[in-house]
Formats: sequence, C-alpha cells, structure tokens
Amino acid sequence: MGKWLHHNLPAIVLFVAVLAIWEGAVWLLEIQRFLLPAPSVIWAAFAQNLDRLIHIGWFTTKEALGGFAIGCSAGILVALATARWTLANETLMPFAIAANSVPIIAFAPILNNWFGVDNPFSKMMIVAVIVFFPMMINTVRGLTSVDPTTLELMRSYAASDFAILRKVRLPSALPYMFNAFKVAATLSMIGAVVSEYFGGNRSALGVFITQEAAQFRFQNAWAAIIIACIVGLTFYLVVLLLERLTIPWHNSIRNNDDRR
Amino acid sequence: MSDTIIAFSNVNMTFNAGSANATTALKGIDLTVAPGEFVSLIGPSGCGKSTLLRLVGDLLTPTSGDIQVAGKSARQARLDQEYGIVFQVPVLLEWRTIIKNVMLPMELRKTSRQEQHARAQQLIELVELKGFEQHYPWQLSGGMQQRAAIARALAIHPRLLLMDEPFGALDEMTRERMNLELHRIWQQTGTTVLFVTHSIAEAVFLSTRIVVMSARPGEILHVTEVDLPKQRDINTREDPAFFRLETEVREWLRKAKGYGNG
Repeated sequence: MGKWLHHNLPAIVLFVAVLAIWEGAVWLLEIQRFLLPAPSVIWAAFAQNLDRLIHIGWFTTKEALGGFAIGCSAGILVALATARWTLANETLMPFAIAANSVPIIAFAPILNNWFGVDNPFSKMMIVAVIVFFPMMINTVRGLTSVDPTTLELMRSYAASDFAILRKVRLPSALPYMFNAFKVAATLSMIGAVVSEYFGGNRSALGVFITQEAAQFRFQNAWAAIIIACIVGLTFYLVVLLLERLTIPWHNSIRNNDDRR
Repeated sequence: MSDTIIAFSNVNMTFNAGSANATTALKGIDLTVAPGEFVSLIGPSGCGKSTLLRLVGDLLTPTSGDIQVAGKSARQARLDQEYGIVFQVPVLLEWRTIIKNVMLPMELRKTSRQEQHARAQQLIELVELKGFEQHYPWQLSGGMQQRAAIARALAIHPRLLLMDEPFGALDEMTRERMNLELHRIWQQTGTTVLFVTHSIAEAVFLSTRIVVMSARPGEILHVTEVDLPKQRDINTREDPAFFRLETEVREWLRKAKGYGNG
C-alpha cells in the first residue's frame, strides 16, 4: 500500500492540483456557469441527480457492452476464417485496414434509421461496427505472426491444423487480442454516447447530455460526462485485469512485475 | 534395410528451381546412417547442412532423389513420428510450464494424461531439470531451455534425434557441459543422432562419424570415422587422438571452402 502510494503520488497530486486551479480560476475570473461550471458546482449537480445518472448510465453501459460483445465476437470469427484461408486474408485485410481508418460514428444517423432511433439495438450495432475492425485486424495479426520454427516443430509432430490453431496460434494471438479488447473497451463507450447525440431513448446518457446542454443546465451535462468517464475507465480496468489473469506469461505483463 | 535408419540416394535440392534465382543447396547426396550412430554434419555456412537435416525430417521436399527414414519414406516417418527435433532456438511455448512443454508431443498423440506426466517427469530428470517442472521458459537460462527442448524431442521415444546447431547460441563453457550431457543422454537412450554443428571440437567429441560438406552447392566431401572410445568424458578433449581428429576435420574444412570457391 505504501509502495502503491509512493508510485502513484505524483498523479494524485496533479489531479488535486488541476481541480484546485479549475475551482479557483472559475471564482477569481468570474467565468460564466454555462461556459465552465466549477468542480464544486458539478459535484453538487452530480450528488443531486445521482439516482437518475446511475439509471441512464446503466442504460448506455448496456448498449456499450452489447455492442462490444457482438463486435468482438464477429471480429474474432471473421479473423479465424481470414487467417485460415489465404484468399480470404488477401481479399479482406485491405478492406478491413481501410475501414478501420473510416470515422464509423458518422454512420450513426443511418443505423438509427435502420434499427429505430429509440431502439438500443441501433446503438449496439454502431458500437459493434466500430469495435469489429480493430478486433479483427489484431486477431488476424496475432494468428498469423507465429514464429516459423514453432510451426516447423508442430509439423514435425504431424499436428493437424486444428491442433496448431488450438495449441499455438490462439495462445500466441491472445496478447494481440487483449490489445484489441482494450481499444474496443474505450471505443465502445465513446461510440454508445456519441451515437446517442444523434437521438435516442430518453433514458440514454448521450440524450441526457444534449438535452441538459440545450437548456443551459451545463452542470448536469458535466455530471453525466463524469458518469461516462467512470464507466469507460472501469470497463478498461476490467479488461486490464482479465489480461493479467489470462496471459500472465506474456512479457508485457512480466516486465511490469517486480522481477529484477 | 533394417540396419539403416537414414538412407539418402542421389538427393538433390534446388530452391526456386526454374527461376532466375534458383539456388542449388545440395548436390548428389548419398549417405546412410545406422541405428545407434551419432553423425555430425559440418561445413562452411550456407553449405546446406540444415537443409539436409530438414529433408530427413520431411520439413522440406527434395527436388530429386530418394530419402528413406526408418525404412520408409521421409513423409511416412514424420507421420509416424520416428524422429524428434531440436532447433538452434529452444522454441518452447511461453505460455506453458516446462513440464507442459515436454508433454506437448504426447498430448498430440493422445496418450493418457497419467502416462504423459510420468514420462515427462522421467525426461526432466534425464536432462537434469528436476525442480523446474512448474517454471515458465523465461525463468530459465538459455542452456536450461535447450535441455527442456531435448527432453521434449525425446518424449515420444523417437528412434532418431535431429539436432540443428542446438548449442550454437550458448557460451563456450555451457556448450561443453551440454556436450557432456548430450553424450550421456545418447548413451543412455541408444537413440540415433544426426547433428548439425559449426564447432569442430563439438563434432569430434560427440560423434561416431563426421560428415564434412563443401560450400554451396553442398556435397559430401569427406567422412571421418571417429575412432575414440565409445564412452567419453572431460579427459577425452585432452586425448592425442582427439587432436589428431580435430586436425583432420579442420584440414578437410579448409578444402571445403576452397572447393566452393574453385
């Protein structure tokens, strides 16, 4: 605990300092509330609306989680097929890499139109499409970047393609897949909230933020943003924890530990 | 035929055959190895020693010629797992403990879990890694990792052990100790070994025969019969016969280089 504190003290000090400067600046410079509310005002709005914020936060979190699950599963399945057949790999990968650099969130109004603006499924689909490409690309890279000597070794054992997939390719793809999960965790919350800006259910976080902002209740909008931050961060940390538990042998994790 | 484990007759290997950058790696190779022998392949870099080893293992297919391994085609011998192989790098799976790595070839053969465990334990003792069963590869030194790779190669009781410069990445002292270990393992298991090396001393110390190859295209230039006693130890390296054999191999290697250039 002492060690943890020692290691994280600079970050904590910085965080408190930024809050203090923000608070002080708002009062000293008499910044208008609709431009930038002071942290204390945001905190009051947060405490006052907590029940509602938790309700809408959970609504949007479910969209993000649903989209994450659909998009990641589809990404992994397509990656397995892509890595298996060279033709699929050569045909699909250029498109996937191109699609990955397209701002998919721009399609939000169209998917709202397809699945219904009030239907949480329309947001899940946007999130799913956003996380699909990084998931697929990373998994293909992981599956195909196996050391050639390891493949020679497996060939010497007359191992079947399925055995090679299960015992070599999938485990070596896991570190790549966890990198994609981390990116996807962050993207899924961003995708869900931003797609709600284009309209959605009344109990959605993004809808709440736009409505409160439209009525100049900016402290409420800020309080909702805090909820979005907390959910996004928690999601990321859960993936990080799962990574540590699943691939403790990988050097990205080994090096963080206290060996030597 | 049952007294040869490897039989090459007039084997040729050309990479990228037919194209502008075709490279003849091996030319007219005739070689037979009897069960229980320890045969080393030595020659200048790029002479096709590793290619020859991979042909035995059916990891490459020859352009022409016939290869018999354990009395059958090289392909069939691979499918029947007649050989175990050790590469220059240990290629242990980093997510598996040492014992799990040793068990890998047995898992692929669907032997019983209990049997796998017992055999792996026995091999770990053979290569003197007792106490490290539950360690991960990265927790072991290079020499220890290579011992685990040897244990893994022996897991399925192969009649033949193929070794591609297994100690090439180790320091001189570790290499000499590993040579003693390998000699003991060879004596204890009675396995035939085909061994690729750059080191003359290593080849003389370990082998019953040394095959000297010429620079590309690789041909067999000379075969040295090693007439040292079958049982060898640290004193072997100071035996006058050891120096004589080293000198003989070295002279042939010099010719091997000249041969390639001429």
